[in-house]
Amino acid sequence: MSETLLKIENLTKSFGELEVLKGLSTEIRKGEVVVMIGPSGGGKSTFLRCMNLLERPTGGSIIFDGIDIVQADEKTKNRVRSEMGMVFQHFNLFPHLTILDNITLAPKLVRGVSAADAEKKARELLKLVGLADKAKAYPQQLSGGQKQRVAIVRSLAMEPKVMLFDEPTSALDPEMVGEVLDVMKDLAKDGMTMVVVTHEMRFARDVATRVLFLEGGRIAAEGTPAAIFDGRHDGRLGEFLGKVRVGTEFRDKVKSELFDILKDREVSEEELARLKDLLAGGAPAT
Amino acid sequence: MLDGLISDFTQCFVKNGRWEYLWNGLGVTLEVALAAIFLGLALGFLVAVVRATHDRYGRFRLLDLVAKVYLTVIRGTPMVVQLLITYYIILRSVDSKVLIAIIAFGLNSGAYQAEIIRAGIVSIDPGQMEAARALGLSYWRSMVRIILPQAVRNILPALGNEFIVLMKDTSIVGYIALIDLAKGGDIIRSQTYSVYLPYLTVAAVYLILVMTFTGLLGRLERYLRNTGADPVHNDS
Repeated sequence: MSETLLKIENLTKSFGELEVLKGLSTEIRKGEVVVMIGPSGGGKSTFLRCMNLLERPTGGSIIFDGIDIVQADEKTKNRVRSEMGMVFQHFNLFPHLTILDNITLAPKLVRGVSAADAEKKARELLKLVGLADKAKAYPQQLSGGQKQRVAIVRSLAMEPKVMLFDEPTSALDPEMVGEVLDVMKDLAKDGMTMVVVTHEMRFARDVATRVLFLEGGRIAAEGTPAAIFDGRHDGRLGEFLGKVRVGTEFRDKVKSELFDILKDREVSEEELARLKDLLAGGAPAT
Repeated sequence: MLDGLISDFTQCFVKNGRWEYLWNGLGVTLEVALAAIFLGLALGFLVAVVRATHDRYGRFRLLDLVAKVYLTVIRGTPMVVQLLITYYIILRSVDSKVLIAIIAFGLNSGAYQAEIIRAGIVSIDPGQMEAARALGLSYWRSMVRIILPQAVRNILPALGNEFIVLMKDTSIVGYIALIDLAKGGDIIRSQTYSVYLPYLTVAAVYLILVMTFTGLLGRLERYLRNTGADPVHNDS
């Protein structure tokens, strides 16, 4: 078993009276891709945001690099955050900076990397995600999928030990989900340690090494993708997976109906490509 | 009619070098206004960041209280009264009336600018601060590099308006016998008993100042928009 990166013990988080996390414990090991699924309000995002202390846990401990970062001083927390990448649902690119400046800001300010080195690295990373030509553009000139790929690159530029993804495709138009998931798959293939909150079950099944099902502020089930998705489950997990399946089944049904309707009609190449893109986005292939 | 105007003009501006009242007064007006704007900006940023940080994160409880008292007192009393109190009580031992005026107007404008800047900070999506912090930037660095640049762009029109108000407000410095543009015109009136030319000229000069400033501000706003970094029409 590879080394433990994050050891989380009995983590709790309350917002006022509302107890969102009710004592979660788990370990994130190097090279793992842990995907968290579960119903809204189950605590997935809060749990993820506690890992890099964007939310201050109410209790429990998170051991990273041998220290409990929950109790750490501000300076240590800043250093810890610089070693964890985070990708947000709404991208959160800095609109007043060019793509290049978005990516090089933190390496320059936090790590003291020279401007030339930071730029070189940024351009290499942009090339990897197919956005080399956007270096001088501003965020609002990019599509949602492009923004999210830049956001991933911005985190990667800090050479993080672990990447946290908070519903990275939920705010995207369906046809753009695929391009972001592809980047994430490549990352996983390269051995990046990842913790991902997502509703993309296909991604969870294909890429995750472990799936956590969070419900009611607890880890209600945990296991390999095969055990979670193919096993028979009672209770909330079974119910949740049932609903998800109905969703994908519905999408597949729409797909086959659509092709039926369009079978005998004139459909241009372009229209066909658009439809394919739309239906391929995040949906299970048939 | 024309002869009358020419002789009036000569009487008011040429004779005894009276134009110098206006010229030197204009210098004082600009000096006080510009210096007060920058003093106000510095104070405004400080107070705004303290207030915004307190409201969102509960830090700086004491500083926030001081800031609130400052805002309440400044915004709750007339500018003229503040100027007189500064001159006759607080800075009684200071000789330079220009310096006294700068401090009084800077303190006053700081309160108004603070509230404008605070509104600007609050208007920025919390996700911006989170993204900066997640990259390892400290709170202050995130504030200075990420939040404030965007906030300032959003509030530029309101801030420009405050600068215009401040520039015109300096016309009350005559209360402490400082000769600015307005007081200069008033002195010419008192010496020549001519009312039209001195006051209308003073009004015209203020108008030109304000229009010039408005024009510059508009160009700055357009420039920022054209760099593609206009946060108002942008949801990244």
